[in-house]
Amino acid sequence: MFFFVFKIITVKSKIFNLSLLGFLIVFSSCSKDETSEYEAIPTLENRLYAGGETTVFLTSSNAFSTPAPNLSGTDLDTHLDGDFQFEAAFVTAPANVNGGIGPIFNNTSCVSCHPKDGRSPFPNNINALSGFFLRASIPGQDLNGGPVPVPNYGLQIQNQAIFGYEPEAQIQVNYTPLVETLSDGTQITLQKPDYTLVNTYEALPSSILLSPRLASPVFGLGLLEAIPESEILLNEDINDANGDGISGKANYVFDAVSGEMALGRFGWKANTATILEQCAGAYLGDMGITNYMFTQEPGFGQTNGDDGLGDDPEITEEILDQVAFYCKTIGVPAPRNLDNESVRRGAQIFEDIACAKCHIPSMVTGTSDISAISNQSFYAYTDMLLHDMGDDLGDNRPDYLANGNEWKTRPLWGIGLTQVVNGHTDLLHDGRAKNITEAILWHGGEALQSKNEFKALTTQKRIDILNFINSL
Amino acid sequence: MKKGILFLSLMATTVFVSCSDNDSNSEIVNPNSGLYAEVLTDVSLEVITETYNELYVNSSTLKTAVEGLTIGDETALQAVKDAWQSTRAPWEKSEGFLYGPVDTDGIDPAIDSWPVDVNAINNILDSGNDITSTLLESNNEARGFHTIEYFVWGLNGNKAAADLTAREIEYLTAATINLQAQTQDLYYGWLTTEGDFASNFINAGVSGSIYTSQKGALEEIVEGLAIIADEVANGKIEEPLNGNNGGAKPEAEESRFSNNSKLDFANNIRSIQNIYLGDFNGFNGSGISNIVAANNTTLDAEIKVAISDAITAIEAIPGTFTDAIVNNRPAVQNAQSKVADLLVKLESNLVPFVSNL
Repeated sequence: MFFFVFKIITVKSKIFNLSLLGFLIVFSSCSKDETSEYEAIPTLENRLYAGGETTVFLTSSNAFSTPAPNLSGTDLDTHLDGDFQFEAAFVTAPANVNGGIGPIFNNTSCVSCHPKDGRSPFPNNINALSGFFLRASIPGQDLNGGPVPVPNYGLQIQNQAIFGYEPEAQIQVNYTPLVETLSDGTQITLQKPDYTLVNTYEALPSSILLSPRLASPVFGLGLLEAIPESEILLNEDINDANGDGISGKANYVFDAVSGEMALGRFGWKANTATILEQCAGAYLGDMGITNYMFTQEPGFGQTNGDDGLGDDPEITEEILDQVAFYCKTIGVPAPRNLDNESVRRGAQIFEDIACAKCHIPSMVTGTSDISAISNQSFYAYTDMLLHDMGDDLGDNRPDYLANGNEWKTRPLWGIGLTQVVNGHTDLLHDGRAKNITEAILWHGGEALQSKNEFKALTTQKRIDILNFINSL
Repeated sequence: MKKGILFLSLMATTVFVSCSDNDSNSEIVNPNSGLYAEVLTDVSLEVITETYNELYVNSSTLKTAVEGLTIGDETALQAVKDAWQSTRAPWEKSEGFLYGPVDTDGIDPAIDSWPVDVNAINNILDSGNDITSTLLESNNEARGFHTIEYFVWGLNGNKAAADLTAREIEYLTAATINLQAQTQDLYYGWLTTEGDFASNFINAGVSGSIYTSQKGALEEIVEGLAIIADEVANGKIEEPLNGNNGGAKPEAEESRFSNNSKLDFANNIRSIQNIYLGDFNGFNGSGISNIVAANNTTLDAEIKVAISDAITAIEAIPGTFTDAIVNNRPAVQNAQSKVADLLVKLESNLVPFVSNL
């Protein structure tokens, strides 16, 4: 067990000025290597504060797990309380400490799916405890337009259970290779996964729709929540009125906090409106921990789902609120190497081949009840909208307004630190892309043109754009 | 003001990178790079890898001790207790470096999950299942150090060899096999001839390392020191001492079955000491201290004193930690404040010092 309540304060002393001089000397000694186009490409210094004033300057494995440096004293205290709860592992009820796991679940703590507040690797053993699970539904829409739960399974497959209870199912995955060839002849073989359920505790309807998920980093979420809806809708172009081949559609979803329909911002298909609901849903669906927003066990009414203890909710209102606050107030890691020529050229190519049309670099927040995230200008590289990403990436499982090919544009901030923080680069919604090049090659649909332009880049330009993305 | 300073620091970082090749991984031209390499090599190979080696070797001894356990054999049970404590020690001495395979391979939750899932343990014991290492794989809270501790000492620390059952010994056997396998994975994860995570430090700044500069690798190391000091002061001591609205919360104490908490905390601080000095089990290498002393002998001396003061204050807590959080609270508070003093030195002086290298 470890709990992460560490606050790194970046303080620079006078020593720095000396070291700067030293580096400047080094710089001038090799400046002859500069190319003539160096001055023509735009500078990126204004993007240094990727999270506005919530930015942290860390390049270590702690880069995703440090409080926003501008939190007030009381907000920092709440954040640290939430951090402690984020690490808490739950056990079989009844128990003095952290009772209530399951009876069916996917994992036993927040941090076990978001290690170092970061990204889960795709598991070596898909049925072991991991940050991977499957969402499920049957065709149709519920009263609010959302997905219809699978009878006796619900909206998520819990593949773990407390001892003596049966998990809902085990998962099997098979792969189909897809070969992509880049302009310089490099061949890359993508592996397209196909997931099936085996050893199910009850018969499954043949019409079941499954969609895989791998846990994402949790820093910077408060900023995304505080973007004014009007700012997001500015980029909506549902019918592609501007004819650029890219639409952009907001999802509208049932918001369990307000009880009304609201703009979806979180989850791979933007099917959740708030961080609070995302956390409450994860406690319930991923861990089987009932809370004030979701008071029934995920297996309620199922033969494997009821421990009969009547101990709900299993966490206090305070704990859920602290964890939601924590997820809203983790600092955003600053980009590195913004002055590097190749990085700067890559940023230009990122614009030129229209990546930036969906991965929109900058956004702003409005006012928030957390002062640290109010009125910030930040660089997440997302438009927060849904886009058709093509058949190969599609899950064929609609979720509110998101159809079976549509996904929300993922933020790219911090992506270049994934290896140092989490020891892997398994990207996209189920980790099928093993590096950034593969993630780009999985883009289709509205992004097909950009993907093809990426494939056509010279080797050097491809290195440049990858260096740019890795600088984030 | 802070913004401006931070921005300048980025300029300093990027200016030299623009001289490097396109993968931005070239060695930084720095007159101290030889010293840094020495420190990174000693810390990763001689301290970190060797700590994990000791953990692995001692967990094998623990497994062997459990193989010799029979119902009613008090001597054999004591041997298991001793072996548990000597396995626990290198683990606690490793918590100043909770990066790399221990985290990315999910080993920490597999061997040190807390609290213990007593219901799961009882349900497994009461079942008809063979209790194997594989069975425990999907039960992080019913395997590892604290599960073994629970069986060996019992909930109240007074387990006798006559209280053991055949099923409990079967469970203990499975749990110690599982623990040994995990510690092997951890040791091999760093070992140069296996997973070789150490090479990321030894070759920091060279293509292939996850650290794009030696400074980046050194930052990882010193942040790890501050993190464990923080955890000891503000988690491991704070929660049991004050977790009940400012009063004692005994159930929040991590190693309470074995009364090993004081030793756990002291060994956590020794983890800091080993990394800082570059020392381990008689090996006297180059540590972070060598880099600090080259620039700031005062800071170096202050950190060394803060480390030994913290260890002294923890060891000065009378009796068991369980008792002291109720009956000797000032002694526990003193230990907490010495660890907090160390944390301030690490967080406010050492981490910025390394950031400014």
